[in-house]
Amino acid sequence: MPRIPIIMPQLGESIAEATIVRIPFAVGETVESDQDVIEVETHKAAMAVTSPCRGVIVEIIALPQQSYPVGAILAHLEVDDAEAERLGIDHTPATETTGPAAPSGPVAPSAPTRVEPTVSGLPVPASARGASYLSPRLKARMQELGLHAADLAGVAGSGAAGRVTIDDFEKFLTKLEEHQMSQASSMRVAVADAMRRSSTRPLATVGRSLAIDPLLAHRRASNPKPGPALYLLRALAIALSENSAPAGRLFGDKIVHPKSIDIGFAVEVEDGVLVPVLRKADQLRLSELVDLYNELVAYARARRLPASAQGGSIATVTNFGTFGLEWATPIPLPEQTLVLGLGAGRVEPRWDPAQKQFLPSTESQMTLSFDHRVLDGGGAGRLLQRIAELLQKPAQL
Amino acid sequence: MPVPLEASANPPTNAPLMDRFRTGYRWMLLARMTEEKIASLYRTGKIVGGVFLGKGQEALSTAVGMSLRKGDYLAPLIRDQAARMAFGEPLLDTLRTYMGVRSGPMRGRDGNIHRGRPSEGVLAMISHLGAMVPALAGVLMAHRFQGIQNTIGATCIGDGGTSTGAFHEGLNLAAVERLPMVVVVANNQYAYSTPNTRQFVCNDLVDKALGYGIDGHSADGTCLQSCLEVLQLAADRARSGHGPQLVVASLLRLTGHGEHDDGSYIDPLLRKTPVGRDCLKLAEEKLLANSWATPAEIALWHSETQQQIEDSVAVTLREPLPDPAHEDWCALSNRHLAEG
Amino acid sequence: MITYLEAIRAAQAKALRDDPRVYIYGQDVGAFGGAFKATKNLASEFPGRVLDSPLSEDAIIGSAIGAALAGMRPIVEMQFADFSTVGFNQIVNHAATLFWRTGHSCPVTIRLPSGGTAGAGPFHSQSLEALYAHYPGLVVLTPATVEDAYAMLLEAVAIDDPVIFCEHKYLYYHLKAAELPSEAMPVGKARVARHGRDATIVSYSAMLHEALAAAEELATEGWEVEVVDLRSVKPLDTDTVLASVARTGRLLAVGESFPWGGVTSEVLARVAAEGFDLLDAPPRRLNARDTPVPYHPNLWGTHRPTAVTIAGEARSLLNF
Repeated sequence: MPRIPIIMPQLGESIAEATIVRIPFAVGETVESDQDVIEVETHKAAMAVTSPCRGVIVEIIALPQQSYPVGAILAHLEVDDAEAERLGIDHTPATETTGPAAPSGPVAPSAPTRVEPTVSGLPVPASARGASYLSPRLKARMQELGLHAADLAGVAGSGAAGRVTIDDFEKFLTKLEEHQMSQASSMRVAVADAMRRSSTRPLATVGRSLAIDPLLAHRRASNPKPGPALYLLRALAIALSENSAPAGRLFGDKIVHPKSIDIGFAVEVEDGVLVPVLRKADQLRLSELVDLYNELVAYARARRLPASAQGGSIATVTNFGTFGLEWATPIPLPEQTLVLGLGAGRVEPRWDPAQKQFLPSTESQMTLSFDHRVLDGGGAGRLLQRIAELLQKPAQL
Repeated sequence: MPVPLEASANPPTNAPLMDRFRTGYRWMLLARMTEEKIASLYRTGKIVGGVFLGKGQEALSTAVGMSLRKGDYLAPLIRDQAARMAFGEPLLDTLRTYMGVRSGPMRGRDGNIHRGRPSEGVLAMISHLGAMVPALAGVLMAHRFQGIQNTIGATCIGDGGTSTGAFHEGLNLAAVERLPMVVVVANNQYAYSTPNTRQFVCNDLVDKALGYGIDGHSADGTCLQSCLEVLQLAADRARSGHGPQLVVASLLRLTGHGEHDDGSYIDPLLRKTPVGRDCLKLAEEKLLANSWATPAEIALWHSETQQQIEDSVAVTLREPLPDPAHEDWCALSNRHLAEG
Repeated sequence: MITYLEAIRAAQAKALRDDPRVYIYGQDVGAFGGAFKATKNLASEFPGRVLDSPLSEDAIIGSAIGAALAGMRPIVEMQFADFSTVGFNQIVNHAATLFWRTGHSCPVTIRLPSGGTAGAGPFHSQSLEALYAHYPGLVVLTPATVEDAYAMLLEAVAIDDPVIFCEHKYLYYHLKAAELPSEAMPVGKARVARHGRDATIVSYSAMLHEALAAAEELATEGWEVEVVDLRSVKPLDTDTVLASVARTGRLLAVGESFPWGGVTSEVLARVAAEGFDLLDAPPRRLNARDTPVPYHPNLWGTHRPTAVTIAGEARSLLNF
């Protein structure tokens, strides 16, 4: 026969427990449904616990003058199957608690095995979970230290999707202190800033071989001698004057077109690079540019570049061949889309289709790095192609 | 030489009717002329907010004010200019509050009829009708706790206000506690534009007293003598331990709900019935008919009152307006608990 | 052991004993001792000063306002916080505006038996602190401990302004302390109830205990969570909250009331506005669901935040 419990009911709002006053029944006695079986007392009133159905009391757990929490089993009834089924009474005990109420502080909240959070909380944008996410606190701390996102490149992130938390950052700083540190020059900091800002864009580089013997021959015959970068600069200026679109800049959904073909050239100076600018380089011939070019190089090396020769250029040329380098992927300045580079020359066999034989040729690699948002490989290739053509006839530059 | 009009010099309730009537008339006159001045200031743009006048209710309102003594409490409502003054509120309080100057009791923080000086026995009404009934009951409970004897409280309300829960709750509470409170209903026939027929269906509002188990009294709100006599009776009974007294006076608001309202909804026929008579005019007629005052005396009261009002307006117009930069902006008296 | 409820009763007894201006007014507070027995025996101990009122919330509060204006210090009991809405007008339009309007203070203490208990349903479970905190001119207290229930109620009576005293019904019998305090933190100061370093949970009233239980559980996972007990929601001690967030960089505010607006929103808004640079993760809030409070314990148990859901929310915050 089913055993069903008599439990301490909720005898009023906020009532946590009640004290047994009297149990006027003994084991073996029969009780009716809804009959008062146990007298109890709460803080508020004297009340009775009633029997949930007709049955025989088979066990009395509760002791008089003891307090029991709501839900505690006070006694067991044995009921017949018909009665149990008719009332749909659950046989399983309502709670595990059987002893007197523990005289403790706040009762631990009953913990259901699995409860969904009641409110999902403040939704976090998907983009805020990525490794690139910087919390306000991290940003503020970095600003305090004069740092940029690029400085976090070496910090391992333990946050969501690998983001760097403030804890990660502070630990990283502590580690850094183990190293010897020296002050970077202001030139270094300026170059770093320009390169960091520039590299926030998708940059690509294309390159091709260039036979530079005509250029070298022309240079030997000239007085004063134009630097190799100036040939490149002049050829780029002509090519852009024919079609300036590749030098346009993307800003939001707008292309910003160049107003004037002003082109800069990289000059290595102590602990950095300066980029003097030749204004309207499409409107002056190579021979007319040489003196100005040389003057600007001298100014740059002396770190006394006039303001008129700084900034506002639409592209840069760089002769990394000076350092014996054959190939490089220079990064355009942040406000430019293009940087044209020239590698060191090397004598190589070149197939001469007219003479049907390989002939020695001085070959350089010419590279064009560009903002891929503005320009594609084809456009870049065509621009390089045109420059290469122009450089084959240096006398016309 | 006429007796100066001071609430402290009001003839006691057991004084001869003539004395009380003469004083009452002068309070009515001061209230009427003050409000006429306020209406004209309103129309000249000197008043920032609304203007709500008691024209036609001065007899009743005056009687309420005169039924109280120093130490009693008054919880006035909208049309109680006369009760306020007859109980002792200075004319300048009215003008300063309407004009919102810094020197007024409300300092520009609240205006017009919402003024009060709780520490001097005048509660500052809130706009929610009925709310002052329980508040006044609380004052009287306090007096009982404090052992203060022989004080009463009077509060006023209109026919519309009797429909609120607060009116009922407050009056019932006062009845349960048998508080010495006089609740005066000015049945001016309209609650804003809503006529009595849409407000209640009992035969007479005074019948409600029976439901609360308290005394009920009816007065002719257009007749100063009736109002003085009924309020005197009610105040005396409240003071002598007979619990709350409900006084219902019939009259007609002889103006709009406020100066923005022309009262076009008021049935013109009502103005021709007894309830539509002008209490001030009736009082003047009675003064003359009973030879309680001479025409010359009445004319002098008029000119003196006019002068008093003009002088007070002149003072108020010169007083500084509230300045947000110097405003305290603190809603708590325990300022360390204010969030600011 | 002294329960939270007994502390409230004891505070009222002390207030009655120490200050002849104090009286208690409310439904069934007299000989019966109140629906929750918060005024048990006080009517006989202080004859004539603990009075039964009619079923008239507007008049109970309205009369307390009048009595306060006339020099008394009434303590009124709303039988349930839920019923205070019937007296709402007197609280927010009358009591709260008086000092500002007239310069006359209005020292009433309005006790609101607040918050949910199992089986209490939609009209006997609400937490209205945010509603009252919204209004200028009111002080709103939400004690979470036996000690605070006692000390803050005494301070509420002493404060010259209207005080809404939100006492939590669940804590009445569930919370016990060894003795009543002889001194306490002043109203307006929050308390760090548990020290930690990884995140801050700001809470008050019964939710404080759920938050502490959640912190306990999170400690087994290696997290050290700081728990701040606001104690009073108005004034709200922003400084203590900001100081805690400065230590931890992460904030979760937990309240039992409905989710739209309210105390948790206010906490987040203040931290976002005044301590944006302290935040290392988006701040979060956890409240009850946006439905009336349900009747059946199965529903009720998941309607309001619990230690389990708070811990879940905190984990999301900690793992950000």
